[in-house]
Amino acid sequence: MTTGSELQPSGEGTVEQPPVTRAPAIGVFLLRVLGAVAIPIVAFFLLWVTFDFLRDEDANRLLVVGVAIFVGVAGVFFLYWGMNRAIELLPERYREGVRPYVFVGPALVILSVFMIYPVINTILISFKDSVGEDFVGLDNFEFVFTDRYMLRAIRNTAGWIILVPLAAVSIGLAFATLADRLGRGESIAKSLIFLPMAISFAGASATWTLIYAFRPEEFGSNIGLLNGIMIGLGQNPVPWLQQQPWNNLLLMVIMVWMQTGFAMVVLSAAIKSIPDEILEAARIDGASELQVFRRIIVPTILPTIVVVTTYMVINALKVFDIVFVIGSPEANGTVVIAERMIDWFFISNHDGRAAAIAVVLFVAIVPVMIWNIRRFREEEAIR
Amino acid sequence: MSVTTAPPAAEPIPVRGKGLEPRTGGWFVRIAVLVIVVIWMIPTAGVLITSFRPEALVDTTGWWTALAHPFETSQWTLENYRLALDTGGFASAFLNSLAVAIPATVIPIAIAAFAAYAFSWMEFRGRYLMFIAVVGLLVVPLQMALIPILRLYNEGAIVANYYVFPDLDLNGTFLGVWLAHTAFGLPLAIYLLRNYIGSLPSSIIESARIDGADHFTIFWRLIIPLSVPALAAFAIFQFLWVWNDLLVAYVFLGGSRETRVLTLALQGLVGREGENWHLLTAAAFISMALPLLVFFSLQKYFVRGLTAGAVKG
Amino acid sequence: MAERVRGDGMRKFRMLALTAVIVMIAAACQAEEGGDGDGDGGTEQSENKGTVNVLSALSAEEGEALQAIIDDMITPEVDYTVEIEASEQFEEQFQIRADSGTLDLILLPQPGAIPEKAEAGSAVSLEDMGFDMDELASTFGEYYLSLGEVDGAHYGFPTNANYKSMVWYAKDDFEAAGYEIPTTWDQLIALSDQMVSDGNTPWCVGFESGTATGWPATDWMEEIMLKTAGLETYQQWARHEIPFNDPAVVAAGEMFGEIMFTEGYVLGGAENTTALPFGDAPLPMFNKPADCYLHHQATFISAFFPEGTEAGVDYDWFPFPEIDTADTLMAGELAVAFDNRQEIVDFLERFSAEDVQCAMAGDPGLGRLSPNVNVGEDCYANPILGEASGILADALTNGTAGFDAGDQMPAQVGSGSFWTGMVEYMQQGPDSLETVLADIDASWPES
Repeated sequence: MTTGSELQPSGEGTVEQPPVTRAPAIGVFLLRVLGAVAIPIVAFFLLWVTFDFLRDEDANRLLVVGVAIFVGVAGVFFLYWGMNRAIELLPERYREGVRPYVFVGPALVILSVFMIYPVINTILISFKDSVGEDFVGLDNFEFVFTDRYMLRAIRNTAGWIILVPLAAVSIGLAFATLADRLGRGESIAKSLIFLPMAISFAGASATWTLIYAFRPEEFGSNIGLLNGIMIGLGQNPVPWLQQQPWNNLLLMVIMVWMQTGFAMVVLSAAIKSIPDEILEAARIDGASELQVFRRIIVPTILPTIVVVTTYMVINALKVFDIVFVIGSPEANGTVVIAERMIDWFFISNHDGRAAAIAVVLFVAIVPVMIWNIRRFREEEAIR
Repeated sequence: MSVTTAPPAAEPIPVRGKGLEPRTGGWFVRIAVLVIVVIWMIPTAGVLITSFRPEALVDTTGWWTALAHPFETSQWTLENYRLALDTGGFASAFLNSLAVAIPATVIPIAIAAFAAYAFSWMEFRGRYLMFIAVVGLLVVPLQMALIPILRLYNEGAIVANYYVFPDLDLNGTFLGVWLAHTAFGLPLAIYLLRNYIGSLPSSIIESARIDGADHFTIFWRLIIPLSVPALAAFAIFQFLWVWNDLLVAYVFLGGSRETRVLTLALQGLVGREGENWHLLTAAAFISMALPLLVFFSLQKYFVRGLTAGAVKG
Repeated sequence: MAERVRGDGMRKFRMLALTAVIVMIAAACQAEEGGDGDGDGGTEQSENKGTVNVLSALSAEEGEALQAIIDDMITPEVDYTVEIEASEQFEEQFQIRADSGTLDLILLPQPGAIPEKAEAGSAVSLEDMGFDMDELASTFGEYYLSLGEVDGAHYGFPTNANYKSMVWYAKDDFEAAGYEIPTTWDQLIALSDQMVSDGNTPWCVGFESGTATGWPATDWMEEIMLKTAGLETYQQWARHEIPFNDPAVVAAGEMFGEIMFTEGYVLGGAENTTALPFGDAPLPMFNKPADCYLHHQATFISAFFPEGTEAGVDYDWFPFPEIDTADTLMAGELAVAFDNRQEIVDFLERFSAEDVQCAMAGDPGLGRLSPNVNVGEDCYANPILGEASGILADALTNGTAGFDAGDQMPAQVGSGSFWTGMVEYMQQGPDSLETVLADIDASWPES
């Protein structure tokens, strides 16, 4: 601990410890709060004043954009720097006690306003009726665990959060490891795997329609690749996305295709950070490549694997657009939790049920968080 | 790092000096990489080919049939790209997208880097609780946050006659979109960066502290240069996400001709019934161009040895 | 010692500054009491803001065509501008903006969404905006206005209409085979049977429409329901005054099933229709020779016909045959205001006037019908639309038009369980009808 309490008390030669240490403690607390909120508030007002000015002036668009980029980018750096200078002005014993809050404060303030407040709002609405006015007790939660589409969605989502991360992380890890040893061409190979991540969602849905599209025989030739192959093999075209329950797997393939790039890039960065000497030493010791992979690479980048997997699980938990765009999910048995939430919120228009489903999402993530925190502690214990 | 002694590998281990290229794999590696790449490329190839085919052909024949006669010029066209680029207000939409995406990428990185460092290497009360809250926020579906935030932007928040959040009329401003994107990007940014920064060797940080460096100096002089690969990786993701985002920009910036972003402008091409396949595919490639450029330009930071070099330097 | 003194001075200064900042922020943040008026839903009109923002579910091309007409005919004469927003995320945007108070005007295809917004107090009634309801009734017909009625106040201002009771047919092949246009249900069935016995397939049907898959099937149900049960029972069904699985609805569902499930009637079979994009569905009519002869769909579908095909030569249409009544199925959009401002009122008046409506009718990029019954058939860009508008105007004046029932229902039925139910009916076959209708009935929100 390097907080103020550990440092020398500030009394002017007095011996009375308690009152002396208490006074700075309050001061430190206030300074911490100020430090935490000052950057965002000052930054915010500076930006706001700039933009209010630009808005009034009805300035040239290029100029607005230019100023926007400059102020937005330079402004943030400048403010952290300024806050640090301000800390330097503090008596030395306060500095290290206040500094962590200056570091994490801005993030926490922004997250509180933009995310924690909506979360609390959502939890409240989950106990209310369709327009979010009167309290209805646990009705919405009863709905969540009895509605047949919700039950189906919970089962399907369980499949998504197991299979998608498993596939995306394994392929991403395998590819990152292999590409690392490719030498020339690595950069291009990685870019090609990464490519799907750059596709907009509308683009991705077009992409997969070109694979899964279905037309019965007389409706013209099929424009979907899979049915093109079926016809080439002399079979009848198949409405792929209606083949329950396999259509769920076909939709998961889309997500794996899009997200493996993420896993690959992050894991690749981790692999690159393993010092060359360690790998070389192992090889000189006669370890086979598989052994190097299993005994050195995987254990070293394990924390990163955990992070990537966590992120994939959360993403799979939140998936809705893939399911949503391709045909009636209820009738085709492809419903998932987040899709139900969006449907109840925006289409079927029952805020209470939508919020209750969102709360289920929050709760579903708890085990993953516990896993992470445990790892977080372990990691700190060994360093 | 202990490695069990194993029978010598079949292939002779080439002896090479430091600073040479990492050793390359054999045929197995090449073929495996090739197979995965080809599988991954099939869907993209479909879009690419479709984007160069005339509308009538796109609707009536499969895209792979174009490969049967690749040199028949009548089946290729640039018309789709011309039409997509001709979209009303394309230039303005492109500019808007840039003005949203660049600050919305850099701001969360800056904020998250400081927070991630604090979570990794500073001791303070509430550290675990704060971090777990941040990780937990990853799961919040942003759709649930839109209406509360929009209300804050328009009306502020009043508690007991005082504005706890002032009515700033932020709706429709770039600032409003940046803040929203920053907030939605922060949990992942903090999570990824904390993982990376926390895994840096504690020895370098301790020796810097012994040398009398304070946290800010360590962060700025040591951690940031060391974290370039992680920062670059997150920069790519955030840029992609913001660039391809439609919902947040639409809600906070608006859908009119002057304010809409590229994704929104291009989506208009598709048509509500999705009939304009040829345009959609061309639009997809146009909007992909810049993110790919960002990816290529940042990829040079994912090179082995960069970290090690920085540690020594 | 000097160091220490400086430190303490510094601390006092900081504390002072901190207090000052807090006081200043608090002062700056004190909410103004009063004068904060809601802005929405009040009866008093607020001042001109200079812009009317109109959210719509139009396609981008339609939106631009509409914007051009407005810029041309309305903007020069008034002191505000109008922004038409053609949104692909219409449903989402509607909920977000209506709930957060950032919406002026919406062109809403689902009158079923009006009651919630009216009860929440965010929508403004036409009476509050100062419209003369009798005058509006003579322009649009009583029925159309009544769709936006909540507790005696009217919220929906008709802005356009679609005519749905159309059966398209492959004219050249149809005539070559010597078929005749049916005018009753029995004739329609007889014609279908004859086609089957000639070795042809009568119907082309496709219900796939992405997120909205199933809606074309609800049109079939509505068409038959309207023409068997009559407008009164139809309206009771749409408002849930009779159960969704009322015998009248079951009967309509069985007749729909007769078309869909009779062997040889539907090209590709009923279970494939839910995977077949509705825009692709009519295409086999244009094969040589035609692979199907009949297609039921509203006016807009001609935009999906292959390039180079000609109305009156390759294809034509006839009104959906009479069953017990000859009532007309329609749909359309109602403008709903979420703010009471003089320029919004002024815009609605100008927008619905005959000259602007006639100009819209003549724009081939829009292809919609005017709800203003005084707009003549000669305004329209093509004879098909003109003829359809004549039929629709008569139906609206005579009170024989029935608005798309699904769109009148609350969204969780009309844009949810009704669509899903129809898809399940197609996939699971004739025996599932009773269960499907009972499920839809159970999904109706308690009011």
